[in-house]
Amino acid sequence: MSGVTLERVTKTFGQVRALDDVSFEIQSGELLALLGPSGCGKTTLLRSVAGLEKPTSGRIVIAGRDVTFVPTRERPIGMVFQSYALFPNLSVRQNIAFPLEVRKRPAAEVARRVDELLDLVRLVPQADRYPNQISGGQAQRCALGRALAPSPEVLLLDEPLSALDALVRTRLRDEIRRVQQLVKTTAIYVTHDQSEAMAIADRVAVMNHGRVEQIASPPVLYESPSTNFSAAFVGSRNALELPVRSGRVGMGGAFEVAAPVGALEKAVVFFRPEDVEVSADGPGQPATVEVKIFLGSITRLHLVTDIDGAPARFYADMPSRQANAFPPETRVFVRVDPADLKAFSTE
Amino acid sequence: MTTIAAANRPSGSVRGRPSPTRWAQRLLFVGLFVYFLLPMVAVILYSLATRWTAHILPDGYTLDWWSRVFSDPTVVGAFATTLVLATLTAILDIALVVPAAYWARVRNPRIRPVIELAAAIPFALPYLVIGFALLQFAGVVAPGLQGTFPLLVLGHAAIAFPFLYWAVDGAMAAAGIERLSEAAETCGASPFQIVRRVVLPNIMPGVVSGALLAFATSFGEFAMVQTVARGVYTIPIWSAEAIRSYSGETGSFNRLAVVTTISFMVLFVLSAIVVYWNRGQTVQLLPGARAIEQREGK
Repeated sequence: MSGVTLERVTKTFGQVRALDDVSFEIQSGELLALLGPSGCGKTTLLRSVAGLEKPTSGRIVIAGRDVTFVPTRERPIGMVFQSYALFPNLSVRQNIAFPLEVRKRPAAEVARRVDELLDLVRLVPQADRYPNQISGGQAQRCALGRALAPSPEVLLLDEPLSALDALVRTRLRDEIRRVQQLVKTTAIYVTHDQSEAMAIADRVAVMNHGRVEQIASPPVLYESPSTNFSAAFVGSRNALELPVRSGRVGMGGAFEVAAPVGALEKAVVFFRPEDVEVSADGPGQPATVEVKIFLGSITRLHLVTDIDGAPARFYADMPSRQANAFPPETRVFVRVDPADLKAFSTE
Repeated sequence: MTTIAAANRPSGSVRGRPSPTRWAQRLLFVGLFVYFLLPMVAVILYSLATRWTAHILPDGYTLDWWSRVFSDPTVVGAFATTLVLATLTAILDIALVVPAAYWARVRNPRIRPVIELAAAIPFALPYLVIGFALLQFAGVVAPGLQGTFPLLVLGHAAIAFPFLYWAVDGAMAAAGIERLSEAAETCGASPFQIVRRVVLPNIMPGVVSGALLAFATSFGEFAMVQTVARGVYTIPIWSAEAIRSYSGETGSFNRLAVVTTISFMVLFVLSAIVVYWNRGQTVQLLPGARAIEQREGK
């Protein structure tokens, strides 16, 4: 088995708890995305697995071996950095050969393995170029090749796409996934971009304030976020704070559900824009179209309704053809199926 | 990208009629050139002059002063001493400063302020004071060192190290040594392998230009040699004596001009080598390096 296990890993910087009692397991060959806002501890967690940070307490096990106190260079890892971190004095080929050469592998084996990797990351034509002579996407593919060269048990990726432009980003994302599945390495992928995490990962760990809020496969995370934070962070969702009355929370005629446990005054209700049914003539809660945004095949309506005398704003997405009926200023009626709602206590 | 666009512009429009700003630039450049080089040209001419009296150029030319200087064992010895002193100073500074700068940047940033402060001392205190303090200190810890050549090397290393530190630290910042160091660690490299294969190759331009500055500092230094090691006879000491003991005899200043010219040549040639040698690496470290290379048609 070559998975990764974290047991109660905690890391404090002075008063700040960057990692707060984090425990989880990654199966062999699985790609786990660590998703969260900046400062949530995801990078600290990755660096702890790499050994670049020493956890204050807890245990890190890679492939059945406790590596908590093992220095970085002796860990069975490969790492890809946001800033590429290629060695500028070495060519693409020499960069990929570096981890093998420092391990004193025989020259023939190094040459064979480097050729294999150049082919894998599709950099054969650029093999003899230097890092300042290749594009950002090529640089990151080279970094991927370098990380995989010594056949590590775990591949660690620290926001590998953040420095790239949008088009290259999607291509390289799929490329990383292809390579990872081909070589069947266990991988941890840090990102703050939820669509990136959803697209690439077998499971996503949502992190906040140094804790793991939820670990689930992308569809499960998208459909049923288990906490207030992961609901807010994952997917583009409407989040409305609504009053609780006699154990129920609702938005006028649009919906009403049982209030979450512990919510006495107010609750936060999440629902996705595509789950809002908009009609010209009810039934439902009256609302007004404020802004209409054409996004290609779908159109997003910015809607405002009145809740206890205060305006409440939310979005609705619908096929663009259907949206023609609702120009700005139109009075509409909205409904949301209670099955599509997630309500959390704010207390 | 702008550089490429500029290079592709039809050259006629640029060369046709230089703008007033261009003329001002040229004038400034020529002015600076004259200001820096005219005194040097005068010294070189003086070293070749038989006599130089009422005219703008010497009355006649001779290589006599040059041959006399080269056959004077005192001057030749002083040159050898100065070169050895400056070389040892530069080498000692490299050995001390490169690991310290690396350590301060990558391993323990908390010691950075200490090094920065230490680097300001040679500018805050006269060399004479530092030299005297060093002599006193040596008297306490190692009296045998007082007045010796090794103590002078230590003293020069102490006053010249800031130049090397700044150059090396700047080169490390430009190369992103912290990131590269971490990347090398995740590749399985040992600290020694990291320094040899990653750190040194990427900061070489900084090390070489910093070492040259340290060399030059030691080469021309007078006050500390006087205080720390009176017995050591260097070129600045010889020059000072030549001026001090002047009593109207012919040739004394001409020989001084020869020595000054040689000193200048040594430093000038070294600088030229460094600039030429660093050319490729410096460009590599700079952002936009690719644009420059494309323009050069590589």
